[in-house]
Amino acid sequence: MSKDLEKVRNIGISAHIDSGKTTLTERILFYTQRIHAIHEVRGKDGVGAKMDSMELEKERGITIQSAATYCTWKDHTINIIDTPGHVDFTIEVERALRVLDGAVLILCSVGGVQSQSITVNRQMTRYKVPRIAFINKCDRSGANPFRVAGQIRDKLDLNPVFMQLPIGLEADLKGLVDLVIMKAIYFEGDNGEIIREAEIPADMAEEAAKYRELMLDAASMFSDELMEAVLEGTPTPEMIYDAVRRGTLALAMAPVLMGSAYKNKGVQLLLDAVTRFLPQPGDIENTALDLNDGEKPVILQSAPDAPLVSLAFKLEDGRYGQLTYIRVYQGTLKKGDAIVNSRSGQKVKIGRLVRMHADEMEEIDTATAGDIVALFGVDCASGDTFTASDISMSMSSMHVPAPVISLAIIPKDNKSQINMSKALNRFTKEDPTFKSFVDHETNETIISGMGELHLEVYVERMRREYGSEVEVGQPQVAYRETITRRAEFNYTHKKQTGGSGQYARVAGYLEPLEEGEYEFVDNIVGGSIPREYISACDKGFKKSMEKGPLAEAPVTGVRAVINDGASHAVDSSDIAFQLGAIGGFKEAYGKAAPVLMEPIMKVAVEGPTEFQGGIMGSLNQRRGIIVGTFEEGSYTVVEADVPLAEMFGYSTVLRSLTQGKAEFTMEFKAYRHVPKNVAETLMEEARKKKAR
Amino acid sequence: MRKEDFIAKNPLRILIPESGPKRMGLVMARAGLGKTAILVQIALDGLLRGKRVLHVSIGQSLEKTRAWYYDIFKDMVAATTMEDAAGIQEDIHRNRLIMTFNEDGFSKAKFEERLHDLVSQNIFRPDCVVVDGIDFATMERAELEGLRQVIEAQGLQAWFSGRYHRDETETSEVEIPLSCRGYADLFDLAILLRMDPEQKNLVLTVVKDESGATRPGNILHLDPATLMINP
Repeated sequence: MSKDLEKVRNIGISAHIDSGKTTLTERILFYTQRIHAIHEVRGKDGVGAKMDSMELEKERGITIQSAATYCTWKDHTINIIDTPGHVDFTIEVERALRVLDGAVLILCSVGGVQSQSITVNRQMTRYKVPRIAFINKCDRSGANPFRVAGQIRDKLDLNPVFMQLPIGLEADLKGLVDLVIMKAIYFEGDNGEIIREAEIPADMAEEAAKYRELMLDAASMFSDELMEAVLEGTPTPEMIYDAVRRGTLALAMAPVLMGSAYKNKGVQLLLDAVTRFLPQPGDIENTALDLNDGEKPVILQSAPDAPLVSLAFKLEDGRYGQLTYIRVYQGTLKKGDAIVNSRSGQKVKIGRLVRMHADEMEEIDTATAGDIVALFGVDCASGDTFTASDISMSMSSMHVPAPVISLAIIPKDNKSQINMSKALNRFTKEDPTFKSFVDHETNETIISGMGELHLEVYVERMRREYGSEVEVGQPQVAYRETITRRAEFNYTHKKQTGGSGQYARVAGYLEPLEEGEYEFVDNIVGGSIPREYISACDKGFKKSMEKGPLAEAPVTGVRAVINDGASHAVDSSDIAFQLGAIGGFKEAYGKAAPVLMEPIMKVAVEGPTEFQGGIMGSLNQRRGIIVGTFEEGSYTVVEADVPLAEMFGYSTVLRSLTQGKAEFTMEFKAYRHVPKNVAETLMEEARKKKAR
Repeated sequence: MRKEDFIAKNPLRILIPESGPKRMGLVMARAGLGKTAILVQIALDGLLRGKRVLHVSIGQSLEKTRAWYYDIFKDMVAATTMEDAAGIQEDIHRNRLIMTFNEDGFSKAKFEERLHDLVSQNIFRPDCVVVDGIDFATMERAELEGLRQVIEAQGLQAWFSGRYHRDETETSEVEIPLSCRGYADLFDLAILLRMDPEQKNLVLTVVKDESGATRPGNILHLDPATLMINP
């Protein structure tokens, strides 16, 4: 393995579902000699692609969980995280992007920039990830990389710069023109492993010259040296690579490469581009928060001799035991070293240090800044920071969206019950967007997550990996309650029924909190509520917010302020003040114009133009607000904001509406007020449920 | 500032009186001067007045068109400290529909079909339509006439943007530019956006108003930095 940081690339491969990223990864592993045979995603040989190591992924042909691997290409070490394509698993994409330095954005040359590509691109922008685009499937009927490049500009707001041109398209795809060295490149041999350089076909010379000029114009913006050389007619490939790399790192340029992974065309040139244009770990500025200095941001140094700072970004509980994927940002991680989890303060000794290759591994002794490796037997949560024992730092927290959907699961037998607990324990640790809890009223186990498919996959994994058979209830939307105006309370809790009495008076007000879930403000002066009972009031309010009076949904966005009260020398107690606060909350809540809120999803439906009217109608019927439409040729995208509650079963409706020709994606957008008529039904249902 | 005060004080009242007739307006400018910014401000004025606006954007993506609204509304809020901006933004979101087409994908027939889909299924019934990015140079006059008929039949207020050539701006004459004359007669109201002769200011001048509601020669200004319309 290369120790030279300049020759390390940590890259992600992100794209829309089914754009061929697992197939591409498979080719990368083959050409870099990590594997010795190519297996297709839905291959007839039944082996499945290397990166789709989970049985379920192999069966469905989609990647659910990212797997980490590495390979070497022309003395560079490339760490690759394969990321999922479905938006329900976005947390995986986000986590991968957090720890990667660069990314390859794969686009289908037929489908172009689809809604999921936009989501992924937005995430890449959020994490400032330099990216190159690979237009895949140029062998497919309808392939048009030029149209896709236009979409990269219009829809992704990137500056696409062609580095290559296709020689032929669709079934006639023969090879590529490299616009830097101005040669035609052909991929020969059984698996395209033999690269043959030749002169550019005569009928493409003019087009190639034109696109080279465009590429040089774009690249010259980032290098005076190149600009001068272009004016003098003497640019060298090195000058061009350097300028394109600068533009890419500045997020001002997205080099466009192309080919067909399935037909083994263009993958080696993509690997060259990864090493040439994407950043090495030292190019990226990473910061951590110094916990000893008021969380002041500190820029991390990639130097191997600096104190260790590393981030656990993924947990897996596989057949080798608990595995923690870790990215080293600063210093060196050594087998036998003691490191500290800065969240829990727990000291951990590194027993085994391994480099992962999908589901196989390789023992190593050290990992330095920039490396992505895995540790064994470390108890931690995803997102924890590990540091050297003499410093206390935390990497900035990752953006984790709140779950929007839940469902009840009931184990079929005792064995399933035991295994279900094990599975849930593991899944909730691995995936912060997946949560589980027991509803004490119904005694049911509830799981919640980011969408139907998200939960469906975990239920399936419980069955397959843990042998836990569960019955699944109807999906439930995670409603919330909030208040819309300020309301006062002055509540006295008094109980005198033999034994010691209870007395507490709590006064103050509730008001809407614009940002955040809950805030408690203590404005008591003169000790009207003794100090020792203040936290009991806070506890009482928090308890009240667990289930709101409207529809038993959690209450959020409330500031509870106490400004007066009274106590009794004998009868006041912690519990009395808790109950006082609960009473006060109830008293004010009804006056504070409470409303029910529901998750609204941003839905994008893509399909043939002829179905646009029907698609819009179907979304409209689901209380959707059509935000916009985009039409290009025979293809249309309808974007709408639709309540999640209305989206159950939509895939079936859409399929029949469009003869299976349209597809949709959705992601959580925001919580909004539930319309009055719908809210009344929900409240009625909650009342009935409570009565049962 | 209250929303009602903002509406009353909006400099656009010169062009769009609150109780004026529904008309078809044209904003003419050369490329890059700020046609989209003006159309978005006209649309926002309608949205603030509770109208439903269909924004047809040709050659610009949904994201970019949305970003125009977002930026201009943000500037409006900042300049006027508008009350309940978040609530107003919600209403804007609810009452606006953006329809985007690529350059060669827009036609009268397509527009009519889409509008019919929206209205007949009760998905969105616009009061005002804003059409940005039509290339009048390549569009048949019959198509334009058809477009006007569709708009009239639906009883819509409509605003279009039209581009004139860069070399037509040097003249100090305030009149309909030559390249727009072939179609300007189809509009009730025409406004010219140009750099003033001293090249310091962007000026909006009414060059035609068939209804007589607006006096030709009336002038508004466009801040070159924020692209906001000023008196």
